Amino acid sequence: MSAAKRVQQWATFARTWHIFDCKWQDPYESANIIKKYLMGQHKPIYHPLNDCGDVVVCINSREIALRGDEWRKRAYFHHTGYPGGASWTLAWELHNKDPTMIIKKAVYRAMKGNLQRRHTMQRLFIYHEENVPEDIMKNVSSQIRQSRLVPTRLDHIPEEEVKQYPKVMDYPKDYVLK
Amino acid sequence: MALIRRFMPLFSKVMRVYPITVQSQKIHRWVAPTLMELKRREDKLGGKKTYPRNTYLEWNLEAELFAFGQRLNEDFDPDLLLQAFTDRSYVIKEEIQQKKMGIDIKMNDNRELAKKGEEFMSHYIKTYLESVLPKFPPEGIKGVLKHLTSEAVLANISLHLGTKDIILASQYPVEESILANTFKAIVGVLLETSAEERTGRFVRDFVITQLQGQDINEFWQIDDPWSLLNTFVEKDGGKLEPRLIGEVGKNTLLACYQVGLYIDRKMISSGYGETVATAKEMAARAALKKIFGTEDHMKPIDFKLEGLPKTASQTRYQISAS
Amino acid sequence: MSAKNLFLNSGFVRAPLQNGVGRYVCQLQRIVLKFCKSHGGSRGMRDFIEQDLVDFAKHHPGVVVYLKPRRHRSPVIVGEYLNGDRVWMNVHNKTHEEITKWIEVLRTQQGDIASVRLRKYQYTDHPSIQGPWTPFTFKDPELNTAELPSSKFGANNRLPMSATEQLRLMFEKQKISTKTEDLKIAE
Repeated sequence: MSAAKRVQQWATFARTWHIFDCKWQDPYESANIIKKYLMGQHKPIYHPLNDCGDVVVCINSREIALRGDEWRKRAYFHHTGYPGGASWTLAWELHNKDPTMIIKKAVYRAMKGNLQRRHTMQRLFIYHEENVPEDIMKNVSSQIRQSRLVPTRLDHIPEEEVKQYPKVMDYPKDYVLK
Repeated sequence: MALIRRFMPLFSKVMRVYPITVQSQKIHRWVAPTLMELKRREDKLGGKKTYPRNTYLEWNLEAELFAFGQRLNEDFDPDLLLQAFTDRSYVIKEEIQQKKMGIDIKMNDNRELAKKGEEFMSHYIKTYLESVLPKFPPEGIKGVLKHLTSEAVLANISLHLGTKDIILASQYPVEESILANTFKAIVGVLLETSAEERTGRFVRDFVITQLQGQDINEFWQIDDPWSLLNTFVEKDGGKLEPRLIGEVGKNTLLACYQVGLYIDRKMISSGYGETVATAKEMAARAALKKIFGTEDHMKPIDFKLEGLPKTASQTRYQISAS
Repeated sequence: MSAKNLFLNSGFVRAPLQNGVGRYVCQLQRIVLKFCKSHGGSRGMRDFIEQDLVDFAKHHPGVVVYLKPRRHRSPVIVGEYLNGDRVWMNVHNKTHEEITKWIEVLRTQQGDIASVRLRKYQYTDHPSIQGPWTPFTFKDPELNTAELPSSKFGANNRLPMSATEQLRLMFEKQKISTKTEDLKIAE
């Protein structure tokens, strides 16, 4: 094979490292997005036997936002294999013990249950806060967009901008706020 | 109950299962083991024995030579054609045999015809390539010419034209060098019997078309593309600027870099590589391909040019060999 | 289902020696017709030889025709091609018309096509004109110098415009229109 063809193939099958910020995102919605990048379905060269999946690094997994009252009601089942080894753990308990587990289980559940799943999961790195080891952060060259809007907190906006922002209405001066 | 018994035949008709026929290849189950056993026995006796075609009962050399000419749509002189197919080794073998028998029948071999054919072929292919690839430098054309007139390519052409059975040689199966020689001799015969234009068309239709689908740049090894590109760019008075425009997986084994070459803040080419140096080299090669007009998406080579092409014009990039 | 254990070779659609690119060369080199002079099964073959063979040989001078009359054997056509393939075909009890058609099939083939399983029904020397896809093809070049993770590349940019943003834009438009009205009044 000539050098040009070799180099072209190297480039086409290169594995990109993406970063995804899980802050205030629904883990099950994010899992659907992340699984596409892990399997390589975002590439036109996709084929299940092609081994064309990318690496995804998830940060801020402690900050995920489950919907409604799922924190209190969603339970994760685990069986050790031994008799009497069944256990049901609620989402908030699991999150306290290991803040990366919920998003990991969500991505695992989003994928198809075939033999490639465990191998593809090895390409996913989850960190519960912003600190990512340097050698992994060096490889990252792209970012995956979130699906939910992350609103800016009022106390994070500079004061003059808040004062100058146009108002539709304002309370009368003698109004007493309760 | 009586109702069910009454309507039983209807139910059974409804519930009859129709088997879905599966289309299968009609190869019996004993065919594969039989073939394997036959092959095993053949190998024990020393491999498959093939005999030359001219030892068969149904063989007519005159008819084969005539058909050979007609198949290629050319007019050959029959004696010259037979001379083209006679190899030196065969002549030697025949002379030894004839000495034993005491007869003396002179047989001509194909060496002079092959030489004439080779000269014409080289000249024609060179001028054809020069006219069809105007921006390609002379070293590149030499490389392509060397590939087209190499023994392997000519032997392949010769084989697929049906010379393998007609060649008169001492050994069977015929070697590549003899096949290639025979092809050159056939070109020589055509040169003697027909006009140069006709012979040129023959060479174009069978030899030059072997470039179809091939990457021309593979036939010419450029050792240092960066310095070569610099000589071109400096002549036009520009400055090359290589820049890293993309990288993927820096720390990993599968790292990939993309380097772009810029002249006057405009990109001329880009190349990929496992390291930055490789990517820079490939970008230089891509820029050279662009200058020579031989990129992957270049216009296909015109295989329909008629007549004898004129010699190269002065506007060719001269690269000093020293 | 792999093709490793099947004894039918697989290949792609190719023309030997770039056949049509230069001139077209008929790939059938020679054809051998074996038949019996008296047996009934060779009747069609004998009819073909008596009526159509000379025309065939005249129209296709590039094909060498050999006749082999063989007693008490069934009629057979053997076609030999330029790429070395040999096609053996039994034409016992076939009619004259059928044999004519089969000989036409053999003449226009480019080898033993029945022995090769086509892997694809298309072939091209240039599968890509604009260049194959790479991860760099549609990548935003600003990502090269960006500090990841950043909100510019991480936030969703496909959400519909929020009500707050719409109101703010209306306010801006109003400001501009009142400014122009003031200028007009001033004039």
